[in-house]
Amino acid sequence: MADWRLAVDIGGTFTDTVLLDAESGRVAVHKELTTPANPLEAVRRAIGSVLSRAGVTAAEVTAPIVHATTLVTNALVQRRAGRAALVVTQGFADTLLIRDEHRYDMYDLQIEFPDPPIPRERILELDERVNARGEVLSTPAVAELDRIAAELAAAGVEAVGVCFVNSYMNGANERAAGEYLAAALGVPVCLSAEVAPQIREYPRMMTTACNAAAMPVLGTYLDDLERWLAAEGFGGAVLMMLSNGGVVSAAEAARVPIRLVESGPAAGALAGTWYSQRLGEGRLLCFDMGGTTAKACLIEDFEPSLTSSFEIARVYRFKKGSGYPVLVPSVDLVEIGAGGGSLARVDNLGLLRVGPVSAGADPGPASYGRGGTEPAVTDADLLVGYLSAEAFLGGEMPLDVGAARTAAEPLAERLDLNLESLASGIVEVVDQNMAASARMHAVERGVDLRGVTLLAFGGAGPVHACRVAELVESSRVVFPVHASVLSAFGTLVTPVRIDLARSLLRPLTELRSDDTEELLESMRSEGRRVLAGAGVPGERVRFRYGIDVRYRGQGNEITVWLGEGLEWPTTDAETLAAFEAEYKQVYGLTIDDVPAEVVTWRLSAWAPVTGVEPDLAAPAGRDAAPTARRTVRFGRDREPDDVAIYERTGLPAGTRLAGPVIISEAETTVVIRPGWTVEVNADGSLLAQREEAA
Amino acid sequence: MSSVTANLRGAGPSAGAPKRRFDGVDLQVLWQSIISTVNEQATALQRSAFSPIVREAGDLANGLFDPRGRMVAQAVTGTPGHINSLAMGVVAVLAEHPVESLSPGDVLITNDPYKTCGQLLDVTVMTPVFRGGRLIAFFCSTIHHSDVGGYGIGAGGRDVFEEGLWIPICKLMVAGERNTDVWNFILSNVRTPDHVAGDLHAQMASAAVGAERLQTLCDAWDLDDIDDLADEIIERSEEATRESIRALPAGEHRAEALLDLADGSLVQIQCQVSVDPTAGEILVSYEGSSEASPWGINVVRNYTHAYTTFTVRSMLNPEIPNNHGSLEPIRLAAPEGSIVNAVSPQPCTARHVVGMFLPNALLKALAPLKPSQAMAEGSGAVWTMQVSGSHPDGSPFITAMFTYAGGVGGRATKPGLSACSYPTGVAAVPVEVVEASAPIRFLRKELRVGSGGAGRQPGGEGQTIEFLVDTDREWQLNAVTSRLTAAPQGLDGGEPGAGGRFCVNGEPVTTQARLRLGPTDVVCLDLPGGGGYGPPAEEAIGSDNGGAPD
Repeated sequence: MADWRLAVDIGGTFTDTVLLDAESGRVAVHKELTTPANPLEAVRRAIGSVLSRAGVTAAEVTAPIVHATTLVTNALVQRRAGRAALVVTQGFADTLLIRDEHRYDMYDLQIEFPDPPIPRERILELDERVNARGEVLSTPAVAELDRIAAELAAAGVEAVGVCFVNSYMNGANERAAGEYLAAALGVPVCLSAEVAPQIREYPRMMTTACNAAAMPVLGTYLDDLERWLAAEGFGGAVLMMLSNGGVVSAAEAARVPIRLVESGPAAGALAGTWYSQRLGEGRLLCFDMGGTTAKACLIEDFEPSLTSSFEIARVYRFKKGSGYPVLVPSVDLVEIGAGGGSLARVDNLGLLRVGPVSAGADPGPASYGRGGTEPAVTDADLLVGYLSAEAFLGGEMPLDVGAARTAAEPLAERLDLNLESLASGIVEVVDQNMAASARMHAVERGVDLRGVTLLAFGGAGPVHACRVAELVESSRVVFPVHASVLSAFGTLVTPVRIDLARSLLRPLTELRSDDTEELLESMRSEGRRVLAGAGVPGERVRFRYGIDVRYRGQGNEITVWLGEGLEWPTTDAETLAAFEAEYKQVYGLTIDDVPAEVVTWRLSAWAPVTGVEPDLAAPAGRDAAPTARRTVRFGRDREPDDVAIYERTGLPAGTRLAGPVIISEAETTVVIRPGWTVEVNADGSLLAQREEAA
Repeated sequence: MSSVTANLRGAGPSAGAPKRRFDGVDLQVLWQSIISTVNEQATALQRSAFSPIVREAGDLANGLFDPRGRMVAQAVTGTPGHINSLAMGVVAVLAEHPVESLSPGDVLITNDPYKTCGQLLDVTVMTPVFRGGRLIAFFCSTIHHSDVGGYGIGAGGRDVFEEGLWIPICKLMVAGERNTDVWNFILSNVRTPDHVAGDLHAQMASAAVGAERLQTLCDAWDLDDIDDLADEIIERSEEATRESIRALPAGEHRAEALLDLADGSLVQIQCQVSVDPTAGEILVSYEGSSEASPWGINVVRNYTHAYTTFTVRSMLNPEIPNNHGSLEPIRLAAPEGSIVNAVSPQPCTARHVVGMFLPNALLKALAPLKPSQAMAEGSGAVWTMQVSGSHPDGSPFITAMFTYAGGVGGRATKPGLSACSYPTGVAAVPVEVVEASAPIRFLRKELRVGSGGAGRQPGGEGQTIEFLVDTDREWQLNAVTSRLTAAPQGLDGGEPGAGGRFCVNGEPVTTQARLRLGPTDVVCLDLPGGGGYGPPAEEAIGSDNGGAPD
């Protein structure tokens, strides 16, 4: 009997749906243009289309529907979030305006900061105080709360955030104020101690403000969605994908919408996880290169690496520091200003630079023939022979070689190079940029990228992946199928999971005590509660334990995962050994004389997915034959190669080809460089392996 | 300066070998790789640092130098003071420890304030890189260590010897082995030996990784050394910098700015900028500035050079990477023994107070050269605080240094930034982090509304911070404040911002020395607002006198 699972992903441009029969492995996919004014419209169409494509009725979909979305991010970026207010400790109403007093670009005299998501006139102060040890020094007075409630009612607010100093240690005052205001106002209220219970008042208050502002937006959408699903007769509940790859019920998501801020990329990273397990490769670098940017996300130990903070809505040249910092556990991805549309130029040092300025979709690269006059990466890809002028986008959009040449000529002249050498140079520089950014991202996390396998997707990812792999000293690249709906696909094939974190400072030698046990039990019961909302019975829930540890006196912690079970899994001696091993791996040494301490306690509650094996098989058939040949330049110092071109759809499983070779498909082109070989796996994915340095 | 120049010219690459040239593509790739390496190692250092100011504020510098001591590439990190001081410091170190005196496995160390970065807390570690038996480069880092004994953070040391341990230029490692006597000397003279040792190890480890990356790069590009590459990078940077100076109008521009401190002492900064469009050079002279101060706020020449080149380059050509070539066309004249060119034993631990103030004067002098980049005076140096005392059980506590910023000046086309550090990129330590580290309690931290000077583009607002210590014992406050009576001036008709106020229980503090305070004492900091830019609009005059004390 069929067991249909449905996934939805609302992206900035497309809304994707994937339908998978967990019994037979059958897969159906559909893409619709996103409808920003009313996102539900595209969702309805995309679901309707994928169902009819598979010949399935709504009532047959009884499993939970997994949903990823960029709604929250877009609402905050486009300043279309709800009318929210913030209640804060007396003396701290300007915290969002003072920020951390840091200038994110030291040299630039013209920098700007974004207006906070909640304007100053809707930030109200309340007389209350908790000290750094969590002791309540004064509690909110009812008369004060009445005054605030009256003011907020008059301002017509749709949601309220509450953020008090030191509430990460004790949220009692926030809870008291929050309950009172929720009852008095009848609008959703969120507390910083629940949204982001972590030390540092500015990012915690910013996270709370963003959350409050997003509550009305996501709440309205989810209400509409659930109403429609019920009316259509769907049997499954809705599960929302969080930024860290976990899922929660729609009701829970509406309470902490800020945790959905990286929902879509998280789903993509889950697909990476799934591939890493299939391939038996614990480490995988997801490499997604599109039109304006490239994104890289690292999978380690079969799981996406996570970060506890994130920045959204950057206002000044996309610079780090010019946005809202939010404390949201997220898949840890780096976004690089390098895409097919990135423009090349010569700077005042006489150096060839590529990006971050992009030709975008309009006019696009010069070879699109829509008026672009500067050479973009896609133009260079065309000139070196990576791309075919005729077969671009499955032949729907022929590229104009002449326009690409015309655009590139002035640069070649300035650098005193021939056109071919310049084009190869553009490709090399953009590949170097991406490799450098990926490596820097890894270093910031204490990770060595060398030897990592790449998972290449996005329109330009498969074109550039082999060279980027060479530059990060890696020798394997995987090209998945269904690359264009990879995010939605990822949500269907990975476990249901929720991650929780709590701050409690404790020496590493004193982890076992009544209060830590109480803390863990409260986290376990929250995990059970959330997963119950996702339809997982309590006995199937599994717990995994982790801690963030540092040497006393340091400011950065490293996360150490300790194991699974219903109880704390390690002795203090084992915990110390695990920390030291991890620290040594990251920093190359341990520091014997300084005691270590736990800052944050982590618990991951999850339930395994049962028996999903999508049928992605490559076509069976005769030996593949090339459909064309063309001249391709793989580097400035290498003579041009005469390269065979294959159609991906015509390659049966088991096919093995030696590079240089190019494999063409509708939405992208797979470039296999000299020194590499590529093999077609049974599941249709391509596995490229570097045999020797070319 | 003449001896240094001679040194640079004296040790050129071996004659005879054909010079390798790099085209615009290869050079971009190689240059980017080197910059990435120093950036990555700076990040690794910041992440693992014990010193709070390093990890919170990125108070470190990390760079690659050629065997002649010329800076080839540098990490983009938190404070201009460190960055460009290191650029000058390496040459001074090599003058004492020439290349011939170094062997593989050696590591040099020093915190000589007058030769390197201007205060004893800034410790520089230099690791030579050998290839084929020849020294080809140095990886060098300076980080602000957690302690060097002595007076600690603050302006109260009466001479450099009172300020802490002076580590002369010496070998920290000899042929890969610890130089035990040097380690013992250092670790016996600091209050936090574990942290200092940990940070020294981190400095050496990051250089080792950098060296490995450089070797890989040399392998991949078939380079025996980096001499030709360094020449190419430095020559192109220097030429591009001269070119951008040639585009400026010739002439001389003067400006002055006045800085006052809590004890009423005044520091006058005079600066004169001369543009020589023929040579493509800018000369910045501080002739006429105040004599050295008895307080530890004196700035060594390297640090003055650092803030001067930083300010000029932020206006002129910030897109060109920092290296020997891009700094070379910016010349400095600073009278020896003055507050901008301190000599031993003039105290200098709190040199940031004056150093960070220099851009206020210099930007005014530069404004006529690039009016679109003009900016009025701001609050200058961040105010620094350190609190110590004892817990109820008698055990002592001492906080890390925490800093607060006032308003930045109005800009030609944009208002000034409120409560934001300039010229440094220092971040404030969060209130909750300070409270977690000591029994301090903040009563408020809010914008000081109305403190920004009025103008077509108003100055940024300062902020007001009030705190006390929950204790029943005496406690100490080591505070360095500035711009109290001499308020930040406006530019081109803009009005001044409000001056700062530093009070205990409502009474102004009138000393630079450490304060002894009691359980009921409340400290209040009113940080200055920035000056306005351009005359205020008609209706605003009179209604909002930003210069009036609130």
